[in-house]
Amino acid sequence: MEIRIYQKEGMAVLELEGEMDFSNVEQFQQEIQRRPEEVVEVDLQGLRFIDSSGVGMLLSQARYLHRQGRTLRFVRIPGLIREDLELIGFFRVLEALETNSHA
Amino acid sequence: MLEVAKGNGQILRAYGLECNGSSLPAGQVGGDFFEFIPWNERTVFTVIGDVMGKGFQAARLMETIRQILRECIGINPHPLEVVRQLNKLGGYELQKYGSFATLCLLCYDGIARRLTCVNAGHHPPLLLSHGQVKAAECRGVALGLLEDYLGSGIEEFFLAAGDTVVLYTDGVVEACSPGGHRYGLERLKEVVRLQHGVDVDKIKKNILFDLDTFTHGVSQKDDVTLVVLKVTEKAGDKDGD
Repeated sequence: MEIRIYQKEGMAVLELEGEMDFSNVEQFQQEIQRRPEEVVEVDLQGLRFIDSSGVGMLLSQARYLHRQGRTLRFVRIPGLIREDLELIGFFRVLEALETNSHA
Repeated sequence: MLEVAKGNGQILRAYGLECNGSSLPAGQVGGDFFEFIPWNERTVFTVIGDVMGKGFQAARLMETIRQILRECIGINPHPLEVVRQLNKLGGYELQKYGSFATLCLLCYDGIARRLTCVNAGHHPPLLLSHGQVKAAECRGVALGLLEDYLGSGIEEFFLAAGDTVVLYTDGVVEACSPGGHRYGLERLKEVVRLQHGVDVDKIKKNILFDLDTFTHGVSQKDDVTLVVLKVTEKAGDKDGD
């Protein structure tokens, strides 16, 4: 998995390329936690595969930033990966995070 | 009732059903699981699930979820209540380790031939009836992600002799060919459609064979778990049920 990081309009953008799984989730988690910006955007266009460890990490990091009053945002999600995330309830959890601090 | 557990496989013949499942781990021990849980003289539960991650922790959490599932069935066996309670009790255990689990719970009443399905973030089961395949529509958020279970509720089907139900984990539909193409739900549905009149063991083998053909035997990232249930007769129609 390759991670490209740049700044855009005051927020951090993390572009992912490749496959995110059990073996490399920690690497990406560290990159998210290293960012000081209020909004961190994760661009998933280049993501070819994500396993449950990857999904769990993205949600835990969304919660982590939310608790700090910050935002982790996911953009350009490939169709098949969007379907996988929808099935698990990924977007329902993000919605709940916005409306309910217990999510 | 005949119940056989062998290696990663399990067979159950009872309740007017033939059930056959197996789980093939990819690399180190994963979090996939399935189980047939005979409940009373007319009801059997079937569960398939996938706990996040791999290795010792995923395997341990998977055992915890299975144990809590049985306790929840004992408290109130209504399938929706089972999943709600499991999300509370099991969800707490999962959250402690930053984990979650997908799960699909089926409850089959062999007298009424009624199949009740509740889903928590898992691929919905496929139903084969008279050569037609459809996917169940029940959906829900995976266990451990929200404090209270959120889903579309129960979905019921009344089955006839010969009807077949196929449960699977993401390792089946997300398996990739050497060219990087996914096996996918449509191909699985097509293979299942061709299994009309075939016995459960052969159905399972045919699906796994097609999966192996598609992937050219290339090792995959995720466990492959497959469970097939087929209605043979009404429970109690024959001695031994």
